[in-house]
Amino acid sequence: MPEETRENPVAAIEARHLSRRFGSVAALDDASFAIARGEFVALMGASGSGKTTLMNLLTCLDTPSSGELRLNGVDAAGFDEEARREFRARHIGLVFQQFHLIPYLSALENVMLAQHYHSVTDEASARRALEDVGLAHRLDHLPSELSGGEQQRVCIARALVNEPPLLFADEPTGNLDAENEARVLDILRRLHGEGRTIVMVTHNPALGAYAQRIIRLQHGRIVP
Amino acid sequence: MTGILLLRALSVRNQRVWVVFLALMVGAAIVNALISVYFDIDIKMSRELRTFGANVYLGPAHGHSLPEADFDRLAAAAPPGLVAAGSPYLYGTARSELENVALAGVRFSALRALVPYWQVEGAWIGVDFDDRNAMIGRTLAARLNLAVGDSLSLIRDGRKKTLRIKGIIDAGDASDSLLFVGLELAQDWLDKPGTMSHALFSMMNRAGEVERFADELRAAHPDWAVRPIRKVSANEGDVLVKIQGLMGLVSIVILLLSTLCVNTSLTAIVSERQREFALQKALGAANGTIIRQVLLETLAISLAATVVGCLAGFVLAQVLGQTVFSASIGLRAWVLPITFALSLSVALAAAALPLRRIMYIQPASVLKGE
Ligand SMILES: Nc1ncnc2c1ncn2[C@@H]1O[C@H](COP(=O)(O)OP(=O)(O)O)[C@@H](O)[C@H]1O
Ligand SMILES: [Mg+2]
Repeated sequence: MPEETRENPVAAIEARHLSRRFGSVAALDDASFAIARGEFVALMGASGSGKTTLMNLLTCLDTPSSGELRLNGVDAAGFDEEARREFRARHIGLVFQQFHLIPYLSALENVMLAQHYHSVTDEASARRALEDVGLAHRLDHLPSELSGGEQQRVCIARALVNEPPLLFADEPTGNLDAENEARVLDILRRLHGEGRTIVMVTHNPALGAYAQRIIRLQHGRIVP
Repeated sequence: MTGILLLRALSVRNQRVWVVFLALMVGAAIVNALISVYFDIDIKMSRELRTFGANVYLGPAHGHSLPEADFDRLAAAAPPGLVAAGSPYLYGTARSELENVALAGVRFSALRALVPYWQVEGAWIGVDFDDRNAMIGRTLAARLNLAVGDSLSLIRDGRKKTLRIKGIIDAGDASDSLLFVGLELAQDWLDKPGTMSHALFSMMNRAGEVERFADELRAAHPDWAVRPIRKVSANEGDVLVKIQGLMGLVSIVILLLSTLCVNTSLTAIVSERQREFALQKALGAANGTIIRQVLLETLAISLAATVVGCLAGFVLAQVLGQTVFSASIGLRAWVLPITFALSLSVALAAAALPLRRIMYIQPASVLKGE
């Protein structure tokens, strides 16, 4: 990665005075924080506190109104749409609250789609990614034939298949029952153990406890 | 992966995709049929309209008659295929056992083509050399009190020629007062061998060919009076042009309608699938990649619709040909590329705006949680 700088070689994410305004609403207001490589951070706060807004900035789905943002040492605040797309494809794994799988593709094909947009498809490694989340027996099932927990694990496999340095999960267990929630969290913890940087949004304090560190948001501001 | 995406996406058959398929299929079928008929119609319509009867008159420029040989000279001078039928006509008066009758000598074999609108009671006479039978106009038959199968005798200088009435003509014109006999018999009886009063022809009138030929003849033969019988000849060309124009118009309207229909469906499809596209963008797909993928799907559907449409169009052309022109419409290979080009243009034109909308889908706002 030639773009990487030497300033802060351990920081995966560095935000300084980061803000995002929608008209007169400051959904994110002057946020400054850093997340080290290999850290597992929970982003917590009440509904409407700006968690998703911040996640969209960190995952390059949105651009800040002001402030600085460095992802893996690269200045992401000034990215145009194409640069954000490119960065997402290369460096970011995304897990959504509502799974978001392509309904007409099998589990395996959904995972391979992420490879397709990243570089080239590799069925063996897509298979392995699904095996890693315990879905070896569900490769050829359509999303509609999978349970909610299984769908979310497909999403995790898809987020991981390109081995991105940054993994983001916005309320990954929000639509799951307790048993599946535990499985997903186990997987996230295992990934953390393997050295991946993980940012997980949740408004559930019990889940926050799984993380190493909690960043709290209130009305768009980071609170101690 | 592109292939897998295409196959899987196409295997999701929702109603809107069928609407796209049907709109393109019907459009291709009708346009294919109309193009086939359009280029066949020049020939077919001309043949059809010619059944309105004779459309060219040949008479003497001076005097009352001209040699029968001029009939053949004209026919020989005509471009091949132009003259469809023709007959010399010789008029005169003859005495019958009852009263004087107006006589017309004709070549019976050409009569059906020259006066197809005649209503005949009994039967037509089919051969030129028939000198035992005659056809008689309705008015004259009534005056002489003759029915089909009756006989009528012509009398001259002590000679007597008995003719059986084979058909009674209802023509709605002067023919209703004439007695029609074979040309040779008339020439003999009227003492005018090798002579005719005038001749009538039925010619194919494509692209004003008749008019041009008539001009040539007038220049080459000052002793001839050659006239297209305008009422039919000019209209014939007009009707052709009008019908072709109408078919062109119908084709354009059909293509516009199917463009509109495909456009509406694709717009709905894009908005129904916007989550899918938003997700692909979130995974790092470029606008161009997604648009190309959807374009590929649209083209695959269009191609299938056009193939089916061309087959249906060929059948439709045959039905049109049979019902309207009583003839089969030839399958011209070059109609297919034209149909494909038009059909795919429709699909592309219809897809342009809906596909542009894909560019404006914002994954952050489409995929946001809660
Ligand atoms: N696209 C947007 N347009 C206008 N306001 C928005 C938009 N996205 C978020 N907001 C506002 O920003 C605030 C934070 O929203 P969000 O980040 O979704 O909160 P959370 O994810 O913590 O529930 C809310 O008041 C929300 O109404
Ligand atoms: Mg949220």
